[in-house]
Amino acid sequence: MTVAALPVAALGELLRSMADDEFVIGFSDSEWTGIAPILEEDVAMSSLAQDELGHAAALYGLLGDLTGTDPDALAYDREPDAYRHCRLLDHGRGDWAMAIARRFLYDTADSARLDALVGGSWAPLADLVGKLVREERYHEMHATVWLDRLARGGNEPRSRLIDALTTLGPDAGTVFAPLPDERALVEAGILATSLPELEARWRAAVEPTLAALDLPMPPPVREPERGRADHGEPFRWLWTEFNTVRRAEPGATW
Amino acid sequence: MTDPLALEPILGPHERGRTAFNDDLPHDERFALFEAHVTAGGKVEATDWMPDEYRTAVLRFVEMHANSELMGVLPEREWLMRAPTLRRKLALTAKVQDEVGHAQLLYRVAEDLGKPREAMFDDLLAGRTKFHNVFHYPTVGWADVGMIAWLVDAAAIVAQQALRDSSYAPYARTMRKICWEESVHIMHGRDVVVTMATGSSAQRAAIQDALERWWGPLMQMHGPRSPREKDRDLYWRIKAKTSEELRQEFLTIYVPRIRELGLVIPDPDLALDDATREWRYAEPDWDELRRVVTNHGPMSEARLAFRRHARDETSWVRDTILASPRAA
Amino acid sequence: MTAASLEPWEVFRQEKEGAPMQHGGSVMAPDAELATHYARELFGRRQESVRLWVVRRADIVDLADPDLLQPPLDRSFKKPGGYVMRDKLAAAREASGQAKPRARSR
Repeated sequence: MTVAALPVAALGELLRSMADDEFVIGFSDSEWTGIAPILEEDVAMSSLAQDELGHAAALYGLLGDLTGTDPDALAYDREPDAYRHCRLLDHGRGDWAMAIARRFLYDTADSARLDALVGGSWAPLADLVGKLVREERYHEMHATVWLDRLARGGNEPRSRLIDALTTLGPDAGTVFAPLPDERALVEAGILATSLPELEARWRAAVEPTLAALDLPMPPPVREPERGRADHGEPFRWLWTEFNTVRRAEPGATW
Repeated sequence: MTDPLALEPILGPHERGRTAFNDDLPHDERFALFEAHVTAGGKVEATDWMPDEYRTAVLRFVEMHANSELMGVLPEREWLMRAPTLRRKLALTAKVQDEVGHAQLLYRVAEDLGKPREAMFDDLLAGRTKFHNVFHYPTVGWADVGMIAWLVDAAAIVAQQALRDSSYAPYARTMRKICWEESVHIMHGRDVVVTMATGSSAQRAAIQDALERWWGPLMQMHGPRSPREKDRDLYWRIKAKTSEELRQEFLTIYVPRIRELGLVIPDPDLALDDATREWRYAEPDWDELRRVVTNHGPMSEARLAFRRHARDETSWVRDTILASPRAA
Repeated sequence: MTAASLEPWEVFRQEKEGAPMQHGGSVMAPDAELATHYARELFGRRQESVRLWVVRRADIVDLADPDLLQPPLDRSFKKPGGYVMRDKLAAAREASGQAKPRARSR
């Protein structure tokens, strides 16, 4: 694909949405470090968080190349309303059931998104996606193992899981919230399938898993066009935290 | 055909009694054999017979180490969310993850000595067992994060390297793995400190301030001087060096590295005695150490309370893991 | 529902292709599935292994009996070190007037 033919604006929106997703979930999951239910799970969740942050760093790297911006500046130096992560990730950390429900919903959706980007016409992204897909396998393994254990582990874990799925459900499909000029990405062969179509595929993919465990399917997305906007209090708290040191001395090298 | 008697006996006669203490002998005999074995440099595995004194000493030593790794997560954990760049965030998350991993490895060693993990957590959170002094202090800024990762980990690694040949073999093996992993932490810490020390004047001031607050606890960390002959952990070769030997080693390696950054160590008495090649320093506040490790430090109770809360919040998950059957 | 219990699983790791499996340590887990996850985390998260074996400690047969493994009588005839010919070869070379053959280069 020639640089001239590259739909830069649309691609930038896609990269920003994906990078912000990975950045925010990586931060949220890293909150479990030191306080997970058992030591071994603590180490596992921390690896998942590091993977997500590493993916975010790589995606901000691509976005940085595209726009001539430093990746750290992209990750940190925006006002909260300028972040484009999906609303699914705007809920607070919650309990372990919430963490697992969110991981399951996000990882399955991310997987559908990545499948549509594998072998795309812009090589840097296609190459990166090839690597991400391999790393995501472990994430899906972890999420499904825990979904199963919580669903079948007795009254308390099951009801906590159902509560979590019920809370997150209306926002689950926001991973596929419309992006500005998404059509250009499909036409350019960067994205193989439209986002609405991907959402349908994702729902079809998770339905058997949830049905087998008698767990509620996520309902249709509430206000999909706002799916990557309107970040509430939990994200504002996160934003303040991750900017604490950086904003204390803007421009400093750390 | 070669005359068998012409073969030189390359290998000396095997001593049948290498682990004779594992035989069904009277206690005093077993004790004497065990003592001879260990004091001569012999190793002990989890399945060996051990006198109660040895088992108790190893367990106490390992348990405090495990507790320290676990509690050591908390001072840095606050700053995970505040790391100012992607790379620092990744590095710090990996470091804290390693501390948790080390806690796991050490609790495993202690579990195999016969104490269940939950019992160890109960004792830690009730204040019946201890954790190292440095983890009872607050972290007030990013400079502290660098300082801890560098100098606290350095002081710890000096101690841990000396444990790699512990008589208790499971502990020795764990220490080798831990030392290998810790070396990365020190590099990360030093990188943070050097970056700030050569950064803006505010950053340099923050690093100097952090050094001034952490120097006292660092000097107390290895513990008060005690005579070699009186130290039972040394006698049983659970550890190999005295507190003072460790402190001297730390100073020898790290004082030059601190000074080369233009930082001022807040001890005017600190000097290398040319004659003895030993460091002289202002006497550390041993009362402070005693108060702090008995959980009267500035953050002792807050951190224990935080841990108790986290443990209570997640007890339902542990129950779940045990409830669902999965045939192997 | 029968209750599982946490028990130790030993982890063996292979440093690189062709290397022997070596004991790395152990993890506590209620079953093989979680034991495998945790083994990966504790002994493989740094890309330091190419293979892991995870085995329930209770399934391992331990042999440490010195009578079986370190019996007292000389067994040097079972090892290369039990065949020292230096003096005899020196005597033979002297008798035949030949020099010691050069060591093969690598």
